[in-house]
Amino acid sequence: MLKADNLVSYKQYVFVLGITWVLLIILILRYFQIQILGYDQYSKKANTNRIRRITISAPRGLILDRNRRILVDNLPTYILNAIPGELEEKAKIFKAISKTSGLDSAIISKNYKKYYRSRFIPTRLAKDLTFDQISKLEENRLDLKGIYFQQFAERYFPSKTRASHILGYVKEVDKEIRNSMAKKDDYELGDIIGWSGLEKSYEDFLKGRRGVQFHQVDAYGREAGHVSDFNPIDPEPGQNILTTIDINIQKKIEDLMNNRKGVIIVGIPKTGEILGAVSAPDFKPDLFTGHISAFDWRSILNHPDKPLINRFSRGLYPPGSIVKMITEAALLTNTSFSPFNTQECKGVYQFGDRVFGCWYTDGHGTVDLTSAISNSCDIYFYKTIDYYNLDILSSFFRLFGFGTPVGIDIEGESKGLVPTVEYMDKRYGKSGWSRGALLNFCIGQGEILVTPLQVFNYINILATKGNASRPHFVTLNKLRKNPPLNIKPENWDRITYDMRQVIIDIKGTGKNADPNIEGLKLFGKTGTAENSHGKDHAWFIGWMDMKGEKYSVVVLIENGGSGGSIAAPIAKKVFEQIVTSEYPLVNK
Amino acid sequence: MRVSKNISYSELSFKIIWSVLFLSLIGLITLYSISQQHEGSFFVNPFTKQLFFLVPASIIAFLIIHIPRYSIHKYSYAFYIIGIFVVILPFFNSPHAGTYRWLNLGLPFSIQSSEFAKVFTTIALARYLSDNTLRMKNFTSIIIPIFLALVPTLIVMNQPDLGTSIVMMTPVLPMLYWAGAKPFYLFLILAPIFSMLTAFNTIAFTIWAIVLGIIIISSRPTLIVSIFLFFKNIFLGLLSPFMWNSLSTYQQNRILTFINPEKDPLGAAYQIIQSKTAIGSGGIFGKGWGAGTQTHLKFLPVQESDFILSVIGEEMGFIVILVVLLVVGYLISQILNNSFFSKDRFSSLALIGIATIILAHVFVNTAMTVGLIPVKGLPFPFISAGGSFLISTYAMIGLSLKLSINYAD
Repeated sequence: MLKADNLVSYKQYVFVLGITWVLLIILILRYFQIQILGYDQYSKKANTNRIRRITISAPRGLILDRNRRILVDNLPTYILNAIPGELEEKAKIFKAISKTSGLDSAIISKNYKKYYRSRFIPTRLAKDLTFDQISKLEENRLDLKGIYFQQFAERYFPSKTRASHILGYVKEVDKEIRNSMAKKDDYELGDIIGWSGLEKSYEDFLKGRRGVQFHQVDAYGREAGHVSDFNPIDPEPGQNILTTIDINIQKKIEDLMNNRKGVIIVGIPKTGEILGAVSAPDFKPDLFTGHISAFDWRSILNHPDKPLINRFSRGLYPPGSIVKMITEAALLTNTSFSPFNTQECKGVYQFGDRVFGCWYTDGHGTVDLTSAISNSCDIYFYKTIDYYNLDILSSFFRLFGFGTPVGIDIEGESKGLVPTVEYMDKRYGKSGWSRGALLNFCIGQGEILVTPLQVFNYINILATKGNASRPHFVTLNKLRKNPPLNIKPENWDRITYDMRQVIIDIKGTGKNADPNIEGLKLFGKTGTAENSHGKDHAWFIGWMDMKGEKYSVVVLIENGGSGGSIAAPIAKKVFEQIVTSEYPLVNK
Repeated sequence: MRVSKNISYSELSFKIIWSVLFLSLIGLITLYSISQQHEGSFFVNPFTKQLFFLVPASIIAFLIIHIPRYSIHKYSYAFYIIGIFVVILPFFNSPHAGTYRWLNLGLPFSIQSSEFAKVFTTIALARYLSDNTLRMKNFTSIIIPIFLALVPTLIVMNQPDLGTSIVMMTPVLPMLYWAGAKPFYLFLILAPIFSMLTAFNTIAFTIWAIVLGIIIISSRPTLIVSIFLFFKNIFLGLLSPFMWNSLSTYQQNRILTFINPEKDPLGAAYQIIQSKTAIGSGGIFGKGWGAGTQTHLKFLPVQESDFILSVIGEEMGFIVILVVLLVVGYLISQILNNSFFSKDRFSSLALIGIATIILAHVFVNTAMTVGLIPVKGLPFPFISAGGSFLISTYAMIGLSLKLSINYAD
């Protein structure tokens, strides 16, 4: 209690006081030892032997095609840095740099402001300097106190392909990016970070690990060699990424898409490997490196065809007739549906108070399931909708991979839309829609929306009778299988047979896709999808089988018109390329 | 709480006030030198930040002087509970640089709540030990205060903040000693720690065994007890290398990292070498204010708090370091003196507790700058930049001034 008297004895007081002063005197003696006795040694060290920690960025991993040809490389360039604390007359020095190297002094001072962090941290003034420019600056070193240069590896694209939507691009880490990171220490300002495509999704493999070097710097901040007391930590280069791309095929499909809008995807059905994929229009992959002018930027950003959008994974399209094999599968699975079922096509079909037409307005006459596929008759499917309902059909669409992302290894994939009863009720109200919706759905029109990658996965499933792995861009140790489909072998055979008829039947809509090569068997389906953006989208999907090896192709030409006359001839050129490729894909 | 009426400012210990003002001024001068190269905002620049925090710090010290002594005594346990509560709170925040030290209240700065818990714990200990009915001859009278201090210490240790948790624990022994605990008991508390630490060096362990024997014999317990105590310690010592070796390398590294928070040994060695180079190259009179090359070329790490003494050493030399340490010694001696002459036991105990905390900060921080001890992350009182730390230090000075006045209120 407060009433308790203080009982501390003089002995206790002196003891505690003594300990206090003993501790303080130890500290004072230690300071004396270092500052007075060690003065000469330490002041010499401070003047001649200052240690500066310098981080060395790791070279980023390369991106290779399937034959290890380089798609993305590192190009050594030089960066010009300034140590702000050592700059005496900023404006004068910047002018001197501009005079000797030809760099714009306005850009230099702009960069100086952008990268400034502290008076003693190197601040970037310019990048992409050539060896020539650096040599000239080095000659005038005496006038450029506080200016240093540093090697910097920049992304460089040695192949003739663009593959811009696959490879993606990198960005320089600036203050804003760095502040938004969870682990800030992994990056420094000016480091590069994968920002889209494979560069982004495989960032952890590609980026490598920074190294540290300890440099001696003298009293004027000049480097005086390495420090022996501290071992440098070498940078760990990033790992190379082996993609499934074939440069020749990629180049071919990019050329084929010249001045067109749309998508081509080429791949191997069983493994899901993508040999080439183009989303057109695209952009030069080095758009994001080097000096990009504001004009270039604006023309890309404001381009009406949106070249930055990755159409094969983000684009949503009505599939049209290319999904008729799903409807076929739904029909064949119903045991009350006869495989020999025929229907009459007169070019038009009245359903309730609405009239639905076949694309072939003269009518196909008597049509069976095979000719409904090969001639792409719509009326046949309109007349057979009683063999399933909306939810059954949408469950078949889901089994073929629609309505969910395929899980491609680049970011930003749309999942598409497969209508169900629940969805239609929500969207239009319980009485707001009729069975007429099913008429659209069964021929791939109406609500349904798909991405070209989903279509690629779908054609792979058809080509392998359900044994395809999911599409991917980077060689995987373990393939991801598509979920199993419960379709009978004879039904698979029927679907495959019908798709063969699309190519070889006299009236087959896909005739134009056949390259007519000895030993090459082609299977496919065309689609001409109506859409609200103008002319129909032209689709061709198919696979070739040559000596047991299969290659699948998806062609989509936005607002191109008829699938058979626009998309199929392009597919033909792709199949020719596969057979004649420099690195043989097919054993000839 | 009632404000006491008849406080006469002339009764305050001006020796304490002048010492504090001197040290704070040295701190500001040094921080101004450092902040010349800062182009950061108000709360990033250490000089303006320090200047700002001196205002609430002084106000709090001034207010504490007006709190009646009996109120401080009466509410000490309540504040102790609050102290424990506030060191737990940061665990509900998202971690800040992997730790839970900081309490974010949406202000432009965070609060390090352990700084306040440290003061509250000391006052609670003073209250417990000033109980008239307490029999210091009993070993339990020693265990309870240790437990009282251990609760917040363990929480803070898990934040993790080894430096502050050590400081929190240090007042216990001197306060027990002050309250009349048998020095032999206090020795028994410390002995196992020494046994385990010396066990890794044969010579040190032998010397320790001899010292241990002498102390046990000279304090004359019964023969059986002495033999038990001696062999308990020796046995523990002999065992610890085996226990250490039985740990996996990974676990050993964890413990080593805990003792020395700078994970990268290269990093820690680098900091100590830079600090010693800065101090050593300062010489007797220093390189001059604002002219420290080690400081201004950023060789010196955390220069505004952990290594601020190295900046003083480099720029102002041994003379100013000597003056600073002497003034600190003078200040602590004054508080101890007031504690000795205090009429009531509560004030006396609180004062020695505060003196110990200040000394612990000074010793750990200073010893670290010259590579005597590895533990880092403790600031130097009055001089280092820091918001919460500055306020809690000034609060302790307010308490010292208040409790040094020898009349009841």
